[in-house]
Amino acid sequence: MTRVTTTWTAYETTAEALAALAAEGATGALSGERGIVYLKAGRVVHVESAFAPDLGALLTRSGAVPPDGWWEAVDRGGTQHRVGHRLVDSGRLAAGALEVCHLGALFDAAYFVLAHDGRAQRFRPGAAHWLGAVRSVPVDVVVRESGRRRALLDRIWPDPAIDTLPLTRVPGTGSAALPVRRGRTLTQVDGVRTAAQIASALACRTYHTLVELRRLAADGLVRAAPPAAPPLPPGPPPRAVVWDDPDTALLRRLRDALEAL
Amino acid sequence: MANLETSLKECLSSIDGSTAVALVDYTSGMALGTLGGGKDFNLEVAAAGNTDVVRSKLRTMEHLGLKDEIEDILITLNTQYHMIRLLKGRGGNGLFLYLVLDANRANLAMARHQLRRIEGELEV
Repeated sequence: MTRVTTTWTAYETTAEALAALAAEGATGALSGERGIVYLKAGRVVHVESAFAPDLGALLTRSGAVPPDGWWEAVDRGGTQHRVGHRLVDSGRLAAGALEVCHLGALFDAAYFVLAHDGRAQRFRPGAAHWLGAVRSVPVDVVVRESGRRRALLDRIWPDPAIDTLPLTRVPGTGSAALPVRRGRTLTQVDGVRTAAQIASALACRTYHTLVELRRLAADGLVRAAPPAAPPLPPGPPPRAVVWDDPDTALLRRLRDALEAL
Repeated sequence: MANLETSLKECLSSIDGSTAVALVDYTSGMALGTLGGGKDFNLEVAAAGNTDVVRSKLRTMEHLGLKDEIEDILITLNTQYHMIRLLKGRGGNGLFLYLVLDANRANLAMARHQLRRIEGELEV
């Protein structure tokens, strides 16, 4: 375990705390407001955020690895922090393909943790991610790339709410003459799903999905869904429940939440 | 099985005349891996700039309503060839291999063939 002498709590942002830990060659997990960055010997080995689908979702949704194969690798390799190795050793995935996917997921999650940055909340020295070592990236590269992505997205449409809130179509607009990828993204916008859920459904990298969604927002076709209506004032209890009409939106959200576990 | 590093090394060692290679994400312009180049050829800059080439061509194809896909793009300079090969991958992972070749030593047909093979090792 690395001895950490840095008072990482002294820094205003997760990115600054991360840079200080990197300079010490620290190993462990730094939690920010929107996710966790895993360091090994001062380099970033993994990042996870609830706002970006993880490697497992990307690999299984795209059909690159069958769900059984993924969970088998997690079961057998998880406790030894060797899930990535298991996938490659079992012949389910080429090492290069795993690295490419892993880097994609790492930078996608890092955007959320570092681009809209608050104070780091917690550092667990020595903590390692169950995925295990795949590839590592210097902290300054991850921080710089996250900032660059934020600038690129803001240039398309400067509304960060698109990245995290449920999205809805703007009523009265069509989807005629949209490029294929943007049209495909628009079909997933249903007033309930967030960008992360849309990316997961399309088995598409989150950043790519954010680019398409911000473009759709710039075109006036998509906006963040209005917050849920306030609870109804107390009144007579509702009449008999009609079971014929299930709340599909709620069920879908529940399914997505369970799948995201 | 080849990892990213060995795939890039293989590009430089097995493709005649190759001097630099990068694997680039063309949505963000970030290079996921680079090899070769040097102080007189900044691969990061080349990677970021060539994403504009790829994006522009993709946009043109969308405007034209072409449903086809780009396999590769070849740029011929006086002394160099720049080859851009888009990775297929399920779900369109948005990556390309960028290869710089010395025009005097390179065999274009062989280079394309080799690059296609190496690409297979990186696809999901």
